[in-house]
Amino acid sequence: MAETFEHDVVVVGGGGAGLRAAIAVAERNPELSVALLSKVYPMRSHTVTAEGGAAGVIKSNDDLETHCYDTVSGADWLADQDAVEILVNDAPRQLIQLEHWGCPWSRERDGSVAVRSFGGMKNQRTWYAADKSGFHMLHTLFQTTLKYPTITRYDEHYAAKLLIEDGRCGGVAALDLRTGSMRAITANSVILATGGAGYVFAFTTNGAIKTGDGMALAYRAGVPLKDMEFVQYHPTGLPGTGILITEAARGEGGIMLNRHGRRYLQDYDLGQPLEVTDPRHPQNRMMELGPRDRLSQAFHYEREKGNTFKMEEFEDVDAVHLDIRHLGEKRIDERLPFVRELCRDYQGIDPVHEPIPVRPVVHYTMGGIDTDIDGRTALPGLYAAGECACVSVNGANRLGSNSLVEILVFGERAANTATEEAGELKRPNPDALRTQAKDEAKRIQQTLLNGANANGGVRPAHVRNKLRKVMEAGCGIFRDAGTIQTACDALAELSEQAARMTLDDHGGAYNTQLINALEITGMLEVASAMAHSAHARTESRGSHQRTDYPERDDAQFLKHTLAYRQEAAAPRIDWKDVTITRWPPGERTYGR
Amino acid sequence: MAQMINLTLKVWRQDHVNDKGRFEEYRANNIDTAMSFLEMLDVVNERLEKDGKAPIAFDHDCREGICGQCGAVINGKAHGPDKGTPLCQLHMRRFRDGQTLIIEPWRTKGFPILRDLVVDRSAFDRIVAAGGYVTVRTGQAPEAATILVPRDDAEVAFEAAACIGCGACVAACPNASAMLFVGAKMSQFSHLPQGQPERHRRAINMVRQMDAEGFGNCTNHYLCEAACPANISVEHIAQMNRDYLRAVLKSKPA
Ligand SMILES: Cc1cc2nc3c(=O)[nH]c(=O)nc-3n(C[C@H](O)[C@H](O)[C@H](O)COP(=O)(O)OP(=O)(O)OC[C@H]3O[C@@H](n4cnc5c(N)ncnc54)[C@H](O)[C@@H]3O)c2cc1C
Ligand code: FES
Repeated sequence: MAETFEHDVVVVGGGGAGLRAAIAVAERNPELSVALLSKVYPMRSHTVTAEGGAAGVIKSNDDLETHCYDTVSGADWLADQDAVEILVNDAPRQLIQLEHWGCPWSRERDGSVAVRSFGGMKNQRTWYAADKSGFHMLHTLFQTTLKYPTITRYDEHYAAKLLIEDGRCGGVAALDLRTGSMRAITANSVILATGGAGYVFAFTTNGAIKTGDGMALAYRAGVPLKDMEFVQYHPTGLPGTGILITEAARGEGGIMLNRHGRRYLQDYDLGQPLEVTDPRHPQNRMMELGPRDRLSQAFHYEREKGNTFKMEEFEDVDAVHLDIRHLGEKRIDERLPFVRELCRDYQGIDPVHEPIPVRPVVHYTMGGIDTDIDGRTALPGLYAAGECACVSVNGANRLGSNSLVEILVFGERAANTATEEAGELKRPNPDALRTQAKDEAKRIQQTLLNGANANGGVRPAHVRNKLRKVMEAGCGIFRDAGTIQTACDALAELSEQAARMTLDDHGGAYNTQLINALEITGMLEVASAMAHSAHARTESRGSHQRTDYPERDDAQFLKHTLAYRQEAAAPRIDWKDVTITRWPPGERTYGR
Repeated sequence: MAQMINLTLKVWRQDHVNDKGRFEEYRANNIDTAMSFLEMLDVVNERLEKDGKAPIAFDHDCREGICGQCGAVINGKAHGPDKGTPLCQLHMRRFRDGQTLIIEPWRTKGFPILRDLVVDRSAFDRIVAAGGYVTVRTGQAPEAATILVPRDDAEVAFEAAACIGCGACVAACPNASAMLFVGAKMSQFSHLPQGQPERHRRAINMVRQMDAEGFGNCTNHYLCEAACPANISVEHIAQMNRDYLRAVLKSKPA
């Protein structure tokens, strides 16, 4: 039996986007009951790890126009400009709202909100709470959800399938991880806020929960995934663990050095360095504060020139240095305490005295579930927001600190649409939905739990490790037709293996291995959409760099990629125009 | 270079809430001292799985000391021997070759044990739900300067807000008091202007819920502060007591 729980709106995801959405529904219509699902306890959602901060124009020397332009040019013109304008215009209001809910934003001496520099942003506009911005934002949102009695939490519930009846989404089938039983959680509107998919790559800042589940759920339901080939490499991850050293380290004045101690970014059209003692350092949109795609690409060229150094203790991976020593202990402790903590704990060095070894690391998925600017997907009753969605404001390259506001702005927006439309469609028959949930439970029982594949089966962990390496090798910072094709073929092969996955744990309560197996099937679909989209886009733009097509090609590719799932075949790729309102495509210049 | 140690683990295994539970002993050989404690558990689990045994369930997520999900008592110490360090950031170099580690979940009435080292900390949520937020409708975006907050106050609030809600304070306290947690949650708001209007109501409601959940009283052992991975100071308990007292006095009819 699948127990059924009826609500008006289901929010899948307890990260920043999901919590913001749940609050918005509760505020907008206290009559509606909201189910808030999360596969982990909400405070464990990945938003918690964001360090740097959230962008919103607040100071008198800044303006909305500039934030828009920075975002559009940072995105290499692939962002939809109507969406960017919404993001930028609404950002300050959202951040002030969080302040009112108790978020302890860092302050200037005069008591006003403090802002810092961030890569690709012309002016200082990134609000922060020291270097635990995501933590404090998530805490604030979480504590705020607790005050609404209309929000029912389903913690540690894994959404396994969307329930679809009469051509509309009417809820989710979710596994209660504590017991292993399947539940039908039904509603008039379902909002996906399940976060990104960085974990499909081997070397990533993303934790093991960022498996792109929501993307896979929507994709299977026929909703296209948009711009999946755009995956952001963050230039400064710790070499062994992939733990992120926040861009705020550069925003505060940290510099990048190669093996010879040279500030090598000056060799990549990112401007000329100023002395670190110069009061004008760091300069926005220059050198260390260039956009992430360009910095990660520069690393790659430095490696080819032999200017990086090898780290013996981590299988000889290459690295460069991020040096913040000149900031001094006091400032480091005040502004970047967490960076110091991470370096000590995970790298065994103290950045007050030594430069930090770093290398590029997969960080963010620009692509995601195709939505309109109000969070609607192609499937009636289904909405999406946050990193799992592609509105798109990030285009071919996200600017740091834009996503923490994206989750607020579009989390609320999707929720408003879902609330308005919750009553419009006829509610599907609950029995039909329950049956679907029951069937899903049966399928999982038969294919995974009964041990049908006991002999000759493969362990989930094996498939996952392979998959993550395949993506790293085939769809890395630089790709070409050959590497991508190799990845596509390997993924097809892995999908066959995944059909024979076998489990050691056949129990109900906290069966992590089962959840991993379910995640892996989704990861394979998401990875396949990424690889095939990358294959189809024969140009270079932002984070998608094809060595066989090194130029941006606006004539053909000023378009979003749409990947549609096909049963037992490669996805079908289609295209959709980019919305241009006020900023016609131009040259992307930094440091000039 | 890599240094390997061998350990004996005595781990609390419990299948579900109502299970009696028992210690089981495992050998953890060839453990690289560069590993974190959770990585060590991963290795042990992989070996258990290979042998067809159920892995040890433990909570974790960020492994960066911010989500507050990890936690276990190691040889009697919540989060292990290092000060200001959650379990996920504890490293195996802290232990000696041949050592025996007794690994248990938080044990307190307020946190039922769900499986092995996983406990149910929803009592904390209910305490926050009783008042740990701002309800005043401040939806109108004010002029861009927003509310000015003196930097010192912002810093105290920030420090209080650093609580990750892991529950180590309760596990460490001989009275199973949750006052460090509750104090931190209240203090965050008491130092910000937006927290003022409901300050008294918040104090009364949160303390009441804390008592209802069965947590004990603080008798100044300060073990909570010593165990806290976020270095939350017992000052916040004092602040909470002051707020509570003031609130009670105020609400008494004259
Ligand atoms: C280390 C790091 C640092 C960052 N720093 C910054 C920064 O400084 N500034 C910035 O703007 N951005 C930053 N980012 C990016 C930003 O943090 C994320 O894009 C953003 O937090 C995503 O929020 P979200 O709500 O969409 O998803 P998440 O916070 O990832 O939440 C996803 C939620 O969905 C739930 N979920 C997923 N799958 C399922 C399922 N199958 N069933 C049920 N629930 C499910 C999860 O449990 C979780 O609650 C950073 C990212 C990382 C990794
Ligand atoms: S795992 Fe997040 S605090 Fe330890």
